[in-house]
Order: sequence, then C-alpha cells, then structure tokens
Amino acid sequence: MCVGIKARVSDVENGMAVIDNSGVRRKISSELIEDLAPGDYVMVHAGIAIARVTGDDSEEASEVMEAL
Amino acid sequence: MNDKITLAHGAGGKQTSELIGGLFKKYFDNPNLTADDAAVLTPPAGRMAMSTDGFIVSPAFFPGGNIGKLSICGTVNDLACMGAKPLYISCACVIEEGFPMDTLEEIVKSMAETAAKVGVQIVSGDTKVAGKGQVDGIFITTTGVGEIMPKAELSGAYARPGDAILVTGDVGRHGCTILLERDRYGMEAEVTSDCAPLWHPVRDLIQEIPEVHVIRDATRGGVGTVLYEIADESKVGIRLDAESVPVCDEVRGVTGMLGLEPLYLACEGRLVIFVPKEKAEDAVRILREASPDTTGAAIIGEVTDHMTGHVVMATELGTETLLPPPSGELLPRIC
Amino acid sequence: MALSKGAAEAAEIVRNYDGPKIRVMEVCGTHTHEIFRLGIRQMLPESIELISGPGCPVCVTPVGYIDEAVMLALEKGVKIFTFGDLIRVPGTKKSLADAHSEGAEVQIVYSPMDALDYAKAHPEEEVCFLSVGFETTTPGSVIALRNAISEKVENFSLLTANKIMEPAYLALKGSADAFLYPGHVSTMTGMEVYRKIAKEWQISGVVTGFTTSEIVTALATVVRRVEEVRAGERESFAENCYPSVVTEEGSPAARKLVDKYMEPCDTEWRGLGIIPGSGMKLRDEFSKYDARVRFQLPKVQGKASPACRCGEVLRGLIRPMDCKIYGNACTPEHPVGACMVSSEGACSAYYKYGDTLKLK
Repeated sequence: MCVGIKARVSDVENGMAVIDNSGVRRKISSELIEDLAPGDYVMVHAGIAIARVTGDDSEEASEVMEAL
Repeated sequence: MNDKITLAHGAGGKQTSELIGGLFKKYFDNPNLTADDAAVLTPPAGRMAMSTDGFIVSPAFFPGGNIGKLSICGTVNDLACMGAKPLYISCACVIEEGFPMDTLEEIVKSMAETAAKVGVQIVSGDTKVAGKGQVDGIFITTTGVGEIMPKAELSGAYARPGDAILVTGDVGRHGCTILLERDRYGMEAEVTSDCAPLWHPVRDLIQEIPEVHVIRDATRGGVGTVLYEIADESKVGIRLDAESVPVCDEVRGVTGMLGLEPLYLACEGRLVIFVPKEKAEDAVRILREASPDTTGAAIIGEVTDHMTGHVVMATELGTETLLPPPSGELLPRIC
Repeated sequence: MALSKGAAEAAEIVRNYDGPKIRVMEVCGTHTHEIFRLGIRQMLPESIELISGPGCPVCVTPVGYIDEAVMLALEKGVKIFTFGDLIRVPGTKKSLADAHSEGAEVQIVYSPMDALDYAKAHPEEEVCFLSVGFETTTPGSVIALRNAISEKVENFSLLTANKIMEPAYLALKGSADAFLYPGHVSTMTGMEVYRKIAKEWQISGVVTGFTTSEIVTALATVVRRVEEVRAGERESFAENCYPSVVTEEGSPAARKLVDKYMEPCDTEWRGLGIIPGSGMKLRDEFSKYDARVRFQLPKVQGKASPACRCGEVLRGLIRPMDCKIYGNACTPEHPVGACMVSSEGACSAYYKYGDTLKLK
C-alpha cells in the first residue's frame, strides 16, 4: 500500500511544492510538512508530501544495527 | 484542396484523386508507386519476409515522432528482425472526417522521409474516410516485404544457452513519452520517443556477425515481454542483469512515481538481440557505430538452461528473483 | 550494488537464525511485493515465516464498494476518478473496467487533487473520487475536499472507504509474533500507536521502509527482540527501523486535518468482516460531498465469489496456494479475489514469484 517516492523539492509556495524526481517534475501539496525549503527531500504519495526524508538507507542501517 | 478531410475525400471521386495526387503521390514519388490497382514488382532472388502492422496512437504527434514515422518504423523493424532488407511497403490510411489537411500532410511527409532514410519504396496505398467519431484522428496500416540477407538465420526459437542478450538502447522511452503527452498524471519531463527505423544497424550487425540467433522488436509490451516470449519460444531460461538495463532518468522517475516497471513500457526503436556470448562485445561495438539510434546498445543478460521459460535476476542479497511475467494493461499503482 | 555494512550484518543475523520459529506478518502490500521482488523471502531460513497481512486497500475493500462505484458510473452518470489499483477489482457483477467498456466514464489519476482540478474545469459534470486507502492516503482526499469547499466547487464528491490500521492490529493479535508495520502509514501515525498497543495488548512489531537494507534491518531487529521476549527480558516491543522517514510524532497536521472532516465508523474489511471503529467517513456536516448521500445510493450488499478464500489469506490462516481456485480459476489475468487482482495482493505476489521460485 501507499507507493511512495523520494523526491527533491525545487520550489515551495502556499502549501504547494514542485518536486523533481530524476528530472520528472510534479506539483504536489506540501502543506503537511512545516518549513519546507528548496533542496529538501520529501516522501511523496498520491500527490502529497507525507514526510521529510532525513537520510539514506545505509546510514539508517548502521543506526538501527548500532541500537540493536 | 480543402483544409479539412471530408467524406468526399473518401468517396472515390474527384476529391479522392486530388487527395491522392496532391498529397500521397507527391511525397511517396518513386518508380514503383502504382497508378493501377496493384504495384507490379520484381521479387527478390532469395528468401522474402513479409509483415503487416496497424498503428493507432493517441496523441498522433509526440516528441520524437508521429504516427506516420511510427507506421514506417514499425514495419521496417519487423522486417529487419528477420534480417530482411525492406524493399516495398503498402499503406492504408483510415482518416476521421474533419481531420486537418496540414496535419495529414505532415504525417505523410514523415512517412516519406522515414522510408527514404531506410531506402524502402512505398508502392501502393489506400485511403478511407470514416465519419466523425468513428476513428480517433487517423489509423494507418502498413505492410512491407523485404529480402532476407543470405547469411541471416533468425527466429525467436533459436536462442541457446550461452547466448548473450543485448538491447540497442535505453528502454521504455516511447511508452513514457506517450504517457506524459496524455497528461493524465500532471507530470512533466523532457523525454522523446525512441521511435526509429533500425534496418541499417541490423544490416551492419549481420554482415559481420551472421551467428546472431534472435532479433526482436520491443514494441508495446516492452523489453520484458520480448524476454518472456523468447524464453518460451526457445525453451530456455534467461538471466537478466537488472542493473545493466539502460533506463534514462526520466523514465525511472515516472515509473517510480506510478509504480510501473520500465521493462514493460513500450519502445518503438529498440531491438532485443541474442548472439553467442563470444561475439557479444563485437556486436555492441558494431551497433554503437552503426547508427545514432543504437549508440546506447548494451549487454543485459544471458541465456541459460536454468528455469526454462522464466526471466531470473540476481538480487543484492545474492538470491534469485523473477522479472514478474507480463500481465496485460499497465495500470499505475498508488495505494 | 553491494549492501552497506549495517545491512550486510542484518542479513547475516536473519540468515543464520535457527531458533524456535518466528512468525512475522508484513502488514503492508508493498512490503509483500518488495519482499518477493528483492529476493528477501528467498534467503529466509525455515525458522522465520513471513505471513502476508491485510495492508492493501484494494484487497480489503469489500465487493459492495465496487458495486457502489459501478452504480455511480453507469446509473447516475457520474464521472469516476480513481487510483489505477481499483480498476480491475471484480464487483458482484462488474468491475470498473467492465463499466468503462459499457460506456461509463472512469479515469485513472495520480492524486485526488487531479480529480478536483477536473471538476473545477468541468462544472457541468458530476465528479466522484474513489477515496480508498489508509492513514497515508486519506489526507490527500481530505485536502481535495477542503479545497472543493473553500473554492465552492459544487460538482465534486467522495465515495469513501478509508480505513485506519490500529483496530486491524488488534483484530489480528496472535496471528504472528511480530508485525512489520507499514512505513508510509507510520509517517502519519508516528510511533505512539505502536508503543500503546505494545504496552496494552502485548502486540509487537517494527516500522520499516521498502529497500532491501530497510527490510533486512527490520527483520534482524525482530529476530533479536523476539529472542529477548522469549527469554523473558521484555514483554513486547515497538521499534522504528525507518527513522530517515518516520518520526516519533508522525504528522499531527495530517491527523488534525482528517479529524476536522472525517470521523471513525465501523467498516467492513474484505475477509475480516466488520471491524468496529476501523473506517473513516465524512462528518454529517459535509454529507453534501458524500457520494452515497448525494446520489442516494441504496444499501449495497456485495457478494464475493463463494470459492474465494481471500479472507483467510488476509488473516494469515492459509497460504494462497491452499485456496482451491488459486492458479486455476483465479489468476492475475482473470482474478476472482482481490488478493489476486491487486499487484500487491498476497495471491498475486505468490503467483508471480512464489510458484516458480518454489517458495513456501
């Protein structure tokens, strides 16, 4: 469920953002994420930004494994 | 001539002759183009290949081509896949009443240009006009005959374990271009269709490497469908190296957002080629040099005798997975 | 691509686990699909069993919902906008694809906002968006609805079948030793819900993302934590193995927004029956935008094929191949049950990958 794609924010205005995913641009709603700025990465699902992406999965793996 | 196609253009009278004379004959002009009921041609000395294909595409114009170019490329490539030099093409156009004349002219011009590039003659044609709403703009059917190169022995059943598998360029661009042009999903990207006639690269390849076993045109089902077809027809297994499949960024982006697989997006200028492994590097070099349309040629996998009928991939974990078999219409996956 | 050090370490823990059997339910359909595609299931030892859960909106949407959508399209002249996922799901008699071939207007969109844009541009047409999905997807529908209200778009409505996951975890308690919680649903809920059910109901699980690295680190975490539970060192656990995307608090903004326009209701999950408080419907004051009210739809009781055992598959009681029609009468080309029609459904995933790879 909930296909998400990580994309770079290229523009933000009035709760809407333009995201760029490998050269593909789309206007999405970004109102759920506070203080979003161009250059940030977000997770996009069905035309809305559902979360800010703060790292990649290899950093994450070392973090999780360390905690274990 | 009127600026729009009317039913009278298809009625067989004066306006029909005007359309044929003023447009089709003007662009298709060649010594074998018939004014009679059928073209009279000299058959080639050796074996002959013949193929027919119908083209409907919405929109009819897209970045990288239009339905006219597509209708020639499609048949030329089908012939090329059998190692056949395209000689003659016939075409039938079904045009919707009210279709703009200048748009039709552009389509016909593209057909002529593409045919000239390949050196194939359009020798016979037919025009019908259908009432408003009965067709979507224009449908074109082309039939081609070609002379098979004496050295060529090609069939979808000839793949053998030990063959390397090549594609002639990055996959899925035509399908992606059409998807974006239809503008259903609000996405923008600069992608052009891969639509191209590929006879010359095939000729150069077979000239140097007659041992090529299979060539197949990846059209609406994409490269993935071709791989499954060949695995089935040749009763072999296919090991695909997913990371070496060329996919341009934009195609990756669109397919990622819509939950689609690039290997199942349509191509209109990409061949999948099976050649003995020891000839694979040479084949890539020849293809890359042969034409600007095949500079992206790459080796994407090999034929095995393991898991017959399937396309298998190695994963990051060192396990095996499958390319999911083709399954009908591509539907975006969201929720 | 090589695995990072952390992921490789995690993969070793999972691969080498040979203790008492651990049953893990991946709740999310995308996890089901990715676990096959990425070759993760293929590396599991016999002592780790993965069960595919009910986390695919298409799979759990009851037959009657499709019947309602088909009725709107064919009998009420409404133009239907939907995610592509729902198009081929069989209703009692027809799917939306069947309705389309009979002339109904059915259009696939990427976002509910696209349906609203169409409604704005075509005020003479009635536009209905099929609002399905879990916590992740619901805010998009609500944003479209809120904009429709504020921009006075009068020809837009929602046919809701939105669901929330928490009651489903309770209903599935005991089906597995741990859940792999859905990564994107968790962006909305945050971790609190998982901590709560761990404490109150001893339901354990870990949140994870969708890459090989994320899924194997989550499985390694499950292995270690289940060992601890079994050794009596802890009662239950709730861990976040997707911290690059999921935060502790989730999205309060999304929860507040949804709460303003929708309220919980009892709802039917295909195969699981009615789960109290697991659905979301529009609040009464917005009933004008509720397609059921707007078009006076009669109560529809959909009938699933009696041979289909999707329900038991969704609860992890049987494997897809234990169903008699699996692979015969029911295939991805001619799906009978929703778990076969959805590319994320357990039956479809087994059919595409499992049989050939001879996976259990």
